[in-house]
Amino acid sequence: MTDLAWLTVAEAAELLRAKKLSPVEYAKALIDRVERHDGKLNAFLRFTPELALEDARRAENEIARGNWRGPLHGVPYGLKDIIDYTGLPTTAHSKILQDNVAKSDAPVAERLKAAGGVFMGKLSTHEFAIGGPSFDLPWPPARNPWNRDHFCGGSSSGAGAATAAGLLPVAIGTDTGGSVRNPASMCGVAGMKPTYGLVSRRGVIPLAYSLDHVGPLTRTVRDNALMLDLMAGHDPLDPGSAAHAAGGYTTQLDQGVKGLRIGVIRHFYTRDMEADPEVTAGIEAALEKLAGLGAKVSEIRTAPLGEYLAVNRTLLTSEAFAAHENWMRERPQDYGALARERLMAGAFVRAADYINATRVRGKMADAFHALFAGIDVAVTASSMDPPCRIDDPKAVEFTYGRQARAPFNVTGSPALSVPAGFAKSGLPLGIQIIGKPFGEAMIYRVANAYEQATEWGKRHPALEG
Amino acid sequence: MPDDSLTLDEVRRMAAEIGMTRLTDEHLQQLLRATRAARARRAALPIANLTPADEPAHVFRLEHGK
Repeated sequence: MTDLAWLTVAEAAELLRAKKLSPVEYAKALIDRVERHDGKLNAFLRFTPELALEDARRAENEIARGNWRGPLHGVPYGLKDIIDYTGLPTTAHSKILQDNVAKSDAPVAERLKAAGGVFMGKLSTHEFAIGGPSFDLPWPPARNPWNRDHFCGGSSSGAGAATAAGLLPVAIGTDTGGSVRNPASMCGVAGMKPTYGLVSRRGVIPLAYSLDHVGPLTRTVRDNALMLDLMAGHDPLDPGSAAHAAGGYTTQLDQGVKGLRIGVIRHFYTRDMEADPEVTAGIEAALEKLAGLGAKVSEIRTAPLGEYLAVNRTLLTSEAFAAHENWMRERPQDYGALARERLMAGAFVRAADYINATRVRGKMADAFHALFAGIDVAVTASSMDPPCRIDDPKAVEFTYGRQARAPFNVTGSPALSVPAGFAKSGLPLGIQIIGKPFGEAMIYRVANAYEQATEWGKRHPALEG
Repeated sequence: MPDDSLTLDEVRRMAAEIGMTRLTDEHLQQLLRATRAARARRAALPIANLTPADEPAHVFRLEHGK
C-alpha cells in the first residue's frame, strides 16, 4: 500500500470507504510519524494521540456497520490553536491564554467532528495570529519541513508545516492578512481563504473582526475543495456569516481551463513591489502553462498594492488593538515581543482614519469585483520572496510585509495559494488564484488544471536527519 | 516615511492616558516604533477621492423583528 503519510484525503476516503484501510491503522501511522518528526518541526502545539485513536476506533466501527459519513470519515486533521475544541485549551500560542479551556466546539470544529474526522491536535500559530515567528513564547515556532532553518510562513504555521511534512493530510488555519496562504506558499501546499463569511468564525480567537477568515490547507486542490464543502455554511450566530448557498466546490474540478479568462495582476509584483526574480519566474511559468492548457491570459489593473496594504493594516491594527486593549493594560509583559509591537500599532490610530479605511475598502471591493465581468479568475503573487531563515529577524521583518495576499482580505474575495515550483534553494514557491465572491468552485477548477499539469505535488520534503 | 517627531515622553503620556501604565521602557520603545509606523501608514490611505457620500463598509446590521 502507498505510504500512508502521503495519502490525499480523496485517496484515503476511497480506501476507508472500501474497508481497504482501517482508520485505526491510518491514525497509528500518522501518530508514529508525528512522534518521530515533530520534535524538530514543532507543527503541533498540543498533540492528542489518545483523542485521535478514540475518533479512529469510532470511525472504524461506523464504517464497518456501513455508516460511511463522507470523505473525512476516519481521516486525521488538526486545528490551528486559535480554534475552540471542547475540553482543550485554546492558547493562541500565548502565555496569556495558556489555561483558556474551550467549553464548546467552534462550529468549524463541530462540522469536522460531525464528518467523522480523526482529531490529532492543536497546531502552532503566531501569537494571537500576528506575532511570529517568536522564540520568547511558551512553545517554539513551527519550522519549514523543506529546510528546518527556514521560516514556514504564518500565522497558520503548524497547519502549513504539518500538511507539507505528511503529518496530516489536512489542517485548518485562519487568514486576516494572508495567514492561510502564507504558510501554504512557503510550505508548498494548497491554502484557501474563502469568501468573507462563508465559513463561520465563531469560536475562533479574533484578530480583526472584519478581516478574519477560516480556511483549509491540504496537499492537493481536490482535497481543499472537499474540505471547504464540509466547512462552509451559514452560521446565524456569527455576525459576519453570509446567508449564501454553500457547497459544490468539487463540481467543476475536472472541467479544465480551455476558454477561461485569466486576468493577471502583474503590477502588484513587478511595479508596486518588486518580487524576487525566482518568484516572478515561477508566476510567469504558471501563466504560460495555463495559456498552454487553453486559458486566455491577459493583464488587468487594480488599485496599487500599497493602498490595499494601508487599508488592511489600518483596519487590522485598530480592530486587533480593540480586542487586546485590556490585556495590554494589565499584562503587557505576558506577550511575546513581536505580538506586543504589532498589536500596539493600533493603539493610537485616529477614529477618522479607521472609518476612512472602511470607506476606501467599500470602493476598492466594488471596483475589484467589477473586474470579474471580464475575467473568470485573477492570478498574482502570494509571497514576494522565497522563505527566509527563521533565525534572521531582519530577513523575517523585511519579507513579512512583502506579499500580495492582504488585498483579498480587504475585498473579501476568495483566494487560493497553490504551489508553483521551487527556488534554487529547494524551498517552495506559490501563486495566488483569486475569484469573485462565492466563486470558489471556479478557483478550484483553474488550480486543479494547473496542478494536474505540473509535477510539484509529487515532491515531498525529506524529514530524516 | 516614518513620523520621527513623536518622542518617547509623548508616547509614555499617551499610553498613560489610555490606562497603559504597566509598560516598561522596552515596551514603550516598541509602542513608539509601532505608533510612528502607523502614523506613516496614514499617508498611504487613498482618501483624496472619497466623497462625503462614500459610506463605511459596516459589519453591523439589524435583523428583522429585533
